[in-house]
Amino acid sequence: MENLSAKYGKTLNLDKLTSYCPGCGHGVVTRLVAEAIEELGIMERTIAIVGIGCGGFSHHYMDIDAIEATHGRAPSFALGYKLAMPENIVFTYAGDGDTCAIGLGDLLHAANKGMPITTIMVNNTVFGMTGGQMSPTTLVGQVTATTAKGRDTALQGYPLLVPEMMRSMEGVKFLARESVATPKAIRKAKRSIRKAFECQVRGLGYSFVEVVVPCPTGLKMRVRDSYARCANEMTDYFKPQVFRDETEQVDVA
Amino acid sequence: MIQETLFLKNTETFAESLARCGVKYHFAYPITPATDVMKRMAVILPRYGGQMMQMESELAVSSALAGAACTGKLVATSSSGPGLTLMHEAIGFMCAAYLPCIVVDSMRVGPGDGDILGAQSDYFVVTRGGAHGDYRTVVLAPSSGQEIADLVPHGIRLAYRYRIPVVFVIDGVSAQTTESTTLPAYNDYSAEFDTSGWAFTGTKDHAKRALITGSYSHQDGYEMNERLRAKYEVIRDKEQMWEQDGVEDAELVVAAFGIHGRMCRDLVSRMRADGKKVGFIRPITLWPFPDRAFEALGSCVQNILVVEMNLGQMVDDVRLAVNGRIPVHFLGKTGGDLPMYTLADMIAEADRLLGE
Ligand SMILES: Cc1ncc(C[n+]2csc(CCOP(=O)(O)OP(=O)(O)O)c2C)c(N)n1
Ligand code: SF4
Repeated sequence: MENLSAKYGKTLNLDKLTSYCPGCGHGVVTRLVAEAIEELGIMERTIAIVGIGCGGFSHHYMDIDAIEATHGRAPSFALGYKLAMPENIVFTYAGDGDTCAIGLGDLLHAANKGMPITTIMVNNTVFGMTGGQMSPTTLVGQVTATTAKGRDTALQGYPLLVPEMMRSMEGVKFLARESVATPKAIRKAKRSIRKAFECQVRGLGYSFVEVVVPCPTGLKMRVRDSYARCANEMTDYFKPQVFRDETEQVDVA
Repeated sequence: MIQETLFLKNTETFAESLARCGVKYHFAYPITPATDVMKRMAVILPRYGGQMMQMESELAVSSALAGAACTGKLVATSSSGPGLTLMHEAIGFMCAAYLPCIVVDSMRVGPGDGDILGAQSDYFVVTRGGAHGDYRTVVLAPSSGQEIADLVPHGIRLAYRYRIPVVFVIDGVSAQTTESTTLPAYNDYSAEFDTSGWAFTGTKDHAKRALITGSYSHQDGYEMNERLRAKYEVIRDKEQMWEQDGVEDAELVVAAFGIHGRMCRDLVSRMRADGKKVGFIRPITLWPFPDRAFEALGSCVQNILVVEMNLGQMVDDVRLAVNGRIPVHFLGKTGGDLPMYTLADMIAEADRLLGE
C-alpha cells in the first residue's frame, strides 16, 4: 500500500483503517485537526484528550500521545494536564453528548478559567456511538431513538447553543462554530481550527470550536441527504460564525 | 525546606508532608474537615514551584488530578466523604490507567451529606471501591501527625512503584487535632522513579502512546483485569502494615485503626498494669488488610474486640482474617457530640469480654 502518511505529513496516520462509518463528519474534523497540528509544527508536544463516543477514536489516526478520558471530563483532564505541563499543547476532542450533556459543567468552567487549552466539539445532534439517542443539540422535532415523536420543547427544551454560552467569558480568546457541510465550509472550518490551536500556542487563553457535522448512521440517512441536512436545517439553527478572535493581538506566551 | 518540628493541625501536616515530599500539583474543592489541606497547599505549593488548583466540584477535581497524573508528575487531592464519593469515577479510572496519585480523605459522618464531625465511615468505600469494576487502591491509615509525616514518603513510593492511587484516610477528629510533628526536609520521593517509560508527555522521545481504559475487544478487557489481578496479589503479599503490642499471651486482642488504634496503646498499658492479658493490633494499611497479624494470633486469644467510629466496617475484614477461629465482637458508633469512645468506654467493654 502507498505510504499516505509520507505524502500528507507525519501527524495524520492515513495508513490506519478508520472506525468511522462512511460519510461520518468525524473523519473530516479529525483530518482538519491533524492538519492544524502538522502546519503549526507542534506534533511532538501535542496531546489529545478525547471523550467517550465515536470521536474517542480520533486519536488513533494521529501519531500523537493521547488520553481517553472519562465521559464528559476531558476539559478537566486537560486543565490538570496543562497545569502540570504548560509547555505542551493540549486539546480535547469529543461529540456533542460528551461535551455538552454529561460534560457541560466541566466545559464551561474550563472555558471560564481561561487557561490556554483547546476544545473541539463535534456536533452531530445525536449520541452517535450509543445508537442515535437525543443529545442536548438535537433539533426541535428531530426524531431520534429516544424522541420517537421528535424533540418536544415542553419536555426537552431547545437545542443548546454552546459557544453562545461562552460569549461573555473574558478568558475565551478564540470562539467559533463551523460546519463540514460543503467544501467551502470545510475550508472555513480548517481556518478556525488552526486559529484555535494557534491561540494556545501563543498562550492567549482558552479556544473553542464547535463543528456541525452529519452522522448518517445515527440519523438513519443516506450520506448525501445527511450532508444536505447539515447544510440546511442544522446550520440554520447552529449558525457558523467566528464569535471572537483575539489571535491577532500581540504575543503573551 | 529544612527538617523542623511544628505545632500543626494534622490536616496542615498532610499539606506540609505532601509538599515536602514532592507533590507539585494539588486539586481540591472545599469541604470540612478537609479544607485546611487545600488552604495550606494554596499558600505553600508556589514556594516549591507548584500550584493548588481549586475546581468547581470533586468530579472535576479528580478528573484534573487524573489529567495531571498522566504527565508522570506527583499530584494529590484532599476531601471528605461526600467529595470522595464524587471522585470515584476518576479513582476507578486511574486504577485501570495505572496512574499514581495521592488522595487524602478526612472522614466525616455519613451517609448523605452527613455531619462534619469526624468518623471512620469511609472504610468500606476506600477498601471495597466506590466505582465500578474490579479495582483496588492502597489505603493507609495514620493515627497521628507524626505518622502522617512518616507515612507520606512510603505512600508516594507505593503510588509510583505500583502506579496506583494511594488513599490516606484519617478520621476527622485526628484530622483536626493539633500536635507537634517533625516534618521532613524537602525531598521529591517521586524522583526515585523513572516515568519516561510510560508518561504521556508528547512523542518527541517515544512513539505514540495512548492511554486507553476501554477494551477494544473482549480479550483486551480480560487481559487488563488479569494484569490488575497480578499486581494486587503482589501488593497483598508484600505491603501489609500494622502495629501490635501484647498479643503473644493475650486473652483479648483489641483491633482498631486511626485514633482508636492510637488509644489502644494506653488501653493495653493500663490493663496490663492491672494484670489483664490484653493486646492490640492497629492496621496501618487498610488495603491490603493485614490478615497476617490476625492469622498469627495464638490459641491463647479467646476474643477479639474491634472498635470503630462507624457502625461496623473493618470488623468484616477482621472476621474474614480469623475465619471463625476466634469470636469477634464490635464496639462502634458514629455521630453525636462525641463521635467516638473514650478510653474508659473501651476498657469497660474489654473488661466485660474478659468476664470481669
Ligand atoms: C458515564 C458514562 N455514561 C454513559 C456512557 C455511554 N456512552 C458512550 S458514548 C456515549 C454518547 C456519545 O455521544 P457523543 O458525545 O455525541 O459522541 P458521538 O458518538 O456522536 O461522536 C454514551 C452516552 C459512558 N461510556 N459513560
Ligand atoms: S455512528 Fe455517527 S458519529 Fe459514529 S462513526 Fe457512525 S456516523 Fe460517525
